[in-house]
Amino acid sequence: MGFTITEKILARVCGRRAVKVGDEIMARPDFVHSYDFPGYTDSFFRDMKDEFHLNSPPAPERFALFIDHMVPPHAPKEEDLHQITRSWATMQGIQLFERLGIGHQVAAEVGYAVPGAFLVHFDGHISQLGAFGMLAIGLRRNILEAYVRERISLQVPQTTKVILNGRIPPGLMGRDVFHFILKELGPDFCRFQVLELEGPALSDMSLDERQTICGLAMFTGATSAIISPDEKILRWSRSCGSRAALAPVMSDPDAEYAAVVQLDVTSLEPLIASPPHPANIGPLNDVAGLEVHVGYIGSCVSGRLDDLRAAAKVLQGRHVKDGFQLNIIPTSRKIMAEADREGLLMELLEAGAFLSSPSCDYCFGHIATMTAGQRAISTGTLNVPGRMGSPDSEIYLANAASVAATAVEGRIADPRPYF
Amino acid sequence: MALDNLSGRVAWIFAESNFDVDQIVGIKNIKITDTAELARVAMEAFDPDFARVVRTGDFLVGGKNFGYGHPHYPPMKAMRHLGIAGVIAESFSPGFWRGEISMGFPLVPCPGILALAERWDELLVDWNRGMIQHLRTQKELAIEPLSLADRTMIEMGGLIPYLKSAIADEAESTR
Repeated sequence: MGFTITEKILARVCGRRAVKVGDEIMARPDFVHSYDFPGYTDSFFRDMKDEFHLNSPPAPERFALFIDHMVPPHAPKEEDLHQITRSWATMQGIQLFERLGIGHQVAAEVGYAVPGAFLVHFDGHISQLGAFGMLAIGLRRNILEAYVRERISLQVPQTTKVILNGRIPPGLMGRDVFHFILKELGPDFCRFQVLELEGPALSDMSLDERQTICGLAMFTGATSAIISPDEKILRWSRSCGSRAALAPVMSDPDAEYAAVVQLDVTSLEPLIASPPHPANIGPLNDVAGLEVHVGYIGSCVSGRLDDLRAAAKVLQGRHVKDGFQLNIIPTSRKIMAEADREGLLMELLEAGAFLSSPSCDYCFGHIATMTAGQRAISTGTLNVPGRMGSPDSEIYLANAASVAATAVEGRIADPRPYF
Repeated sequence: MALDNLSGRVAWIFAESNFDVDQIVGIKNIKITDTAELARVAMEAFDPDFARVVRTGDFLVGGKNFGYGHPHYPPMKAMRHLGIAGVIAESFSPGFWRGEISMGFPLVPCPGILALAERWDELLVDWNRGMIQHLRTQKELAIEPLSLADRTMIEMGGLIPYLKSAIADEAESTR
């Protein structure tokens, strides 16, 4: 009997030849990542010292910290938190990545996208690194375990495999594919499992799009998402350098799955998540024409080159409707620079978009905050009430092309006529 | 050490699947940090009398995938302040599960619970037998087994005491 990629990675990090579903193991993460956030990193640093009498975390070379929320800060207490993070990183000799972009993306750019690796974070959207053939799990506050002991307790999860067949129609993107998976299979089909993706449609997809799908996996109930490495993944990993020398691993053809599901994306139409939660998925055309005031292209799950290209294609030679606020925030500085080289930024600016350097803050209403009665269309992670401001504002989640088309028309719009 | 059995009444049933726990205190109150204040506003939208009628040791009952969305900590903080001893649900959403288990708060996955219990029924959570018993009808349902780590975290009262004891055990076994 064969093994899934997840089982192979977990076997290695717990020092066994093989593990099986349900085994409770002590796993040594190859990497431990956190962004600074009140009640998380500051608490971890404090608990390490006060509760566990530790001056430094075990094997600190595995750790990395990111400053991507509250960037730029708009209150002294936010900068205080960043100061705590900076001084702790300096004291520990731990890598700190600041203002380079959203950490989950930056991680992939600076050598942490290592096929076969096991990475933990407290934030669940780290699952997007699964797009690089690695297992990345968000543990919430349980990540404290990794700050105080070298190995963390973990139960080997089941895996559900989704095979994506067919070809994605023009104007549709990874976001629609994720919405399709969620709509077809429901918000708990992958509960406590790993979502593994493969198939011809997936092979055709860029890494950007795969990151979108993997990064949203938590809304299927999944602990993480993963893709066995193909040539695209290996090329990326080689080009960005690799912070661990690991042999890539792949799922065996006879691996055992909780379920294997086939989905065909050929006749996919644009899908939108309406309020009040991310699994409230329906055809975008069911809500087309609805007046919208704010648009957001960005976040850890979008805002990459594919998203910026799609937005520019829609906006080229057109203009954002008067009074509409379109915020476009590239996910990382590297992406922003590349978008500039491609001439995308100028096209977006000329179309009337508000562009800003990378930050997580737009996604959770920390900046560009909506007031009661406003409605947004967004490529962000989440649409629960209050996520982007007032609890009485609304968020619709869609692909970047749909956000751009909506910005032009001022009403929720189908992106396909623009392609 | 074993988990203490729990016995209490069903103080409320959230039957809907994918229930967003933030609704318990209301989104507009989610940033309140004072627990007493949270407890005062909790359940306003469901039963304004809740704080008056709930008793220490009572349970909440939930449907499938309880805690879906982007669960915050204040709702269950408020519930604990009001005496709620745990949540029994058809199933739990993983994010909510990890967050609350790390607080040492008993979560009991029990498929079939919605059909078993009505509001104010008395239930016994028998961890050792892995069963939930309806005290009046004597009907029983199986609890889905918890991982050892999750069980111990509830026993110990949360993540920090759990880690302290796990580290001490490790030191003991390598001595």
